[in-house]
Amino acid sequence: MVSLGMNVLQHGAEEEKSELARMSSFIGAIAIGDLIKSTLGPKGMDKILQSGDASKTIQVTNDGATILRAIGVDNPAAKVLVDLSKVQDDEVGDGTTSVTVLACELLRGAEELIGKKIHPQTIIAGWRQATDEARRALRDSAIDNGNDPEKFKQDLINIAKTTLSSKILTEQRDYFAELSVDAVLRLKGSGNLDAIQIIKKLGGGLRDSYLDEGFLLDKKIGVNQPKRVENAQILIANTSMDADKIKVFGARVKVDAVSKVAELEVAEKEKMKDKVAKIIKHNCNVFINRQLIYNYPEQLFADAGVMAIEHADFEGVERLALVTGSEIVSTFDNPENVKLGYCKLIEEVMIGEDKLLKFSGVALGQACTIVLRGATQQILDESERSLHDALCVLSQTVKETRTVYGAGCSEMLMANAVTNLAAKTPGKEAVAMEAYAKALRQLPTIIADNAGYDSAQLISELRAAHTEGKTTMGLDMENGEVNDVAQLGITESFQVKRQVVLSAAEAAEMILRVDDIIKAAPRQRAPDHCM
Amino acid sequence: MDKMIQSPRGDVTITNDGATILKQMQVLHPAAKMLVELSKAQDVEAGDGTTSVVVIAGSLLDATAKLLVKGIHPSMIADAFQHAAEKSIEILEGMSSPLHLSDRESLLHSASTALNSKVVSQYSGILSPIAVDAVMRVIDPTSATNVDLNDIKIIKKIGGTVEDTELIEGMVFNQKTTGAGGPNKVEKAKIGLVQFCLSPPKTDMENQVVISDYAQMDRIMKEERQYILNIVKQIKKAGCNVLLIQKSILRDAVNDLALHFLAKMKIMVVKDIEREDIEFICKGLGCKPIASLDHFLPENLGHANLVEEVQTGSSKVVKITGVAYQGRTVSILVRGSNKLVLEEADRSIHDALCVIRCLVKKRALIAGGGAPEIELSLRLREFSHSLTGMEQYCFRAFADALEVIPFTLAENAGLNAISTVTELRNRHAQGEKTAGINVRKGCITNILEENVVQPLLVSTSAVVLAAETVRSIMKIDDIVNTR
Repeated sequence: MVSLGMNVLQHGAEEEKSELARMSSFIGAIAIGDLIKSTLGPKGMDKILQSGDASKTIQVTNDGATILRAIGVDNPAAKVLVDLSKVQDDEVGDGTTSVTVLACELLRGAEELIGKKIHPQTIIAGWRQATDEARRALRDSAIDNGNDPEKFKQDLINIAKTTLSSKILTEQRDYFAELSVDAVLRLKGSGNLDAIQIIKKLGGGLRDSYLDEGFLLDKKIGVNQPKRVENAQILIANTSMDADKIKVFGARVKVDAVSKVAELEVAEKEKMKDKVAKIIKHNCNVFINRQLIYNYPEQLFADAGVMAIEHADFEGVERLALVTGSEIVSTFDNPENVKLGYCKLIEEVMIGEDKLLKFSGVALGQACTIVLRGATQQILDESERSLHDALCVLSQTVKETRTVYGAGCSEMLMANAVTNLAAKTPGKEAVAMEAYAKALRQLPTIIADNAGYDSAQLISELRAAHTEGKTTMGLDMENGEVNDVAQLGITESFQVKRQVVLSAAEAAEMILRVDDIIKAAPRQRAPDHCM
Repeated sequence: MDKMIQSPRGDVTITNDGATILKQMQVLHPAAKMLVELSKAQDVEAGDGTTSVVVIAGSLLDATAKLLVKGIHPSMIADAFQHAAEKSIEILEGMSSPLHLSDRESLLHSASTALNSKVVSQYSGILSPIAVDAVMRVIDPTSATNVDLNDIKIIKKIGGTVEDTELIEGMVFNQKTTGAGGPNKVEKAKIGLVQFCLSPPKTDMENQVVISDYAQMDRIMKEERQYILNIVKQIKKAGCNVLLIQKSILRDAVNDLALHFLAKMKIMVVKDIEREDIEFICKGLGCKPIASLDHFLPENLGHANLVEEVQTGSSKVVKITGVAYQGRTVSILVRGSNKLVLEEADRSIHDALCVIRCLVKKRALIAGGGAPEIELSLRLREFSHSLTGMEQYCFRAFADALEVIPFTLAENAGLNAISTVTELRNRHAQGEKTAGINVRKGCITNILEENVVQPLLVSTSAVVLAAETVRSIMKIDDIVNTR
């Protein structure tokens, strides 16, 4: 058969087949993995992300998902990994780097196996068995302290410390771990992270951050308003209070005497007065508006002793509504139907150079605010991201209370279980399972590498310890040796670990199954006919 | 020394203040951008020491470069620096002497020290008392822990020299009175702050007056007159003789006719007050803003002894003095011979105010003149002997890096830097904790006796912020360009 070299696809489309496709997938995935590797673990490093547009803003971050989100990749396999880490971020919050690195290591192992002429389907079958075994081993090793509040709180603090240990907050991680556990325990299991607000203010050091049990709004009170209100009934609105304009363009009033114009002016003022009166009839003593409150209504409110706050930003208003239990209204005709928010005390506080409003004793007692201070804007942004990660993990753990040991202990445990199973399995699947175990062992190796220790030595020691039955041994990065993790207190959430293993295996499987990449032709633009 | 910065449009700024210089520079490199942010943060926190903090950070980064060459891992360096920063705060607090806010002398000395490095330093005899008095008037000395610098308004006017700067216990407005024959000086003033418009009625919608007859035109004019006369009469009835009118976004705030009537009734008018200033004015004068005519009652007026329009240079300002209500606001009228000196004087006063604010926040003083840095350097070096391993190296590097401040001070003063710094070190090692560089005499003296002092908060904040920034830069190992 002579190949006629005909183009089956449209002009401009490209196709890569079998070996080439696979090679380009591997290259893409491995490149991403190598990029992210150096951020893993307590001695992991950060990256600067410099935006390409004119503003040239910079971000400093350690979080895998953030880095991957910011890079533009062409390679389709790399895009799959970026998505993977994004999903991990949305689902669980932490482990975004681990999942990408694990998938990359699996694919690296697969590349070798393909070179040995093992069929991809065999590799996938072996991986599936290995994943099941690893999951079983992980489940068996999980500890559940859900019934013991003392131990559970200690678990939470340990998990928070572990999550924060690879980020910029690592120096003050004890302080911040307590802070985040405090915040999450206040939620009392609702898992609604919107109730925890994070405010960033430049100045001071990270140590000056604190947890405030009220809700802080970044706004000032109007002039001549009472500066402090107790037992506040709050009405939140989204209405314009400067001028009641008819929104029909070109509307016009025609009169024949100036006195009539004066009358109209008075009528407009009366309308505003009525509106304010209606608002006051709601029996509120605090009125928060998303838009402007102009002078006249402001004065009327001051006369009635109602505190009026204007220009509250949308997000702040939504949170405030959630936290005080009120609704956002736009019309004021039915006072009975409107739910007012409640809080015990509203007063003005000063942070750095700005004045903020503090709402304490709110109806949703679970609300709290974390105020972050830091030396530069980048430090503040990164602290917020880290704290958010920790809070996500903690709220997950509150629901699913099982925990496992960190510091490479679980990975080594799973790897050993898989190796044992492989030894008993006949057929080429066993080779694939061996590769899976090797990939799992890479994770602690990378952590040790990032710390600058002799990874080969440490990993072999760890493996030997696990085989002897000391299944709680892990890597101690402070001293560079193998130690008992239960005593070091390095704990991770079971949910996070499980999600990492499952997602990474799935993604690697999917990329491995690909043997053809077809790139569609770019859409032809109709030629412009313009003079 | 100062720097002159030229913007692309041709505007020129001459300044000595670190934060200002960095803000104007267009920095490209990301790490440099972080240092610019650092100086901004020091400005927010302490107000002064913005240059020192960047110099310290630069010197620490220099030290880390050398440590990296030795093969020490960056995160180890970062941890050690953090530890060193915490130890430094302990040492600095040990060196400091507590301060009572009633001790005016010490406050004056710290303000003078802050002004010493600026162009206006020879006027520090005039400016320091102004800064100290301003802050003292704005706070409640027994209970204050922070100062809202928005309560001190600074107004700049070209003309005269910096010596003519004065503190006004009352208020100053940049606007002049609107002419039309109204009085320029009013004694025993009753001041009303008005937020509505003294002009012919205008609805918020577009309106048109349609007349069908020539005679009606006359009637319209008469009605307008009557309307405005009504408003003005009511103002007069409340006893007001000075009117402050807010700028209105909806329409003309004042009509010429209204001005004419007000002038005839001997009411002084100041218009175009900004909406943001309203709160400040109310706080200072003790009046309430009046948003509609029916609220124009005598209780809402403020009282003052004298309101007059003063000629300052080529323009005029309105001064209000002898305010009956003891408001917690002051105004400072800054004069200068040209625009550049004026702006620099403004920044310098702001720095001096921030220094006093630091003292209110943390009531402790520390000697200046490079003394704290050398003391820190010595003590940290001693302490490092008790540590083991890499940490000792890093601590020593931190200690050495701190010496850059006295080194630079000596260099800028024209002294031989190395011999000065070594002598300083010697004196401190012998126990003279307060020995510092006296740039006027060109030698080392007991700087505390020379009254060169700075607030503790400036030094601690500088060390902490610099260490934190260096830590975050240390943890970076890659720069990725994103889309």
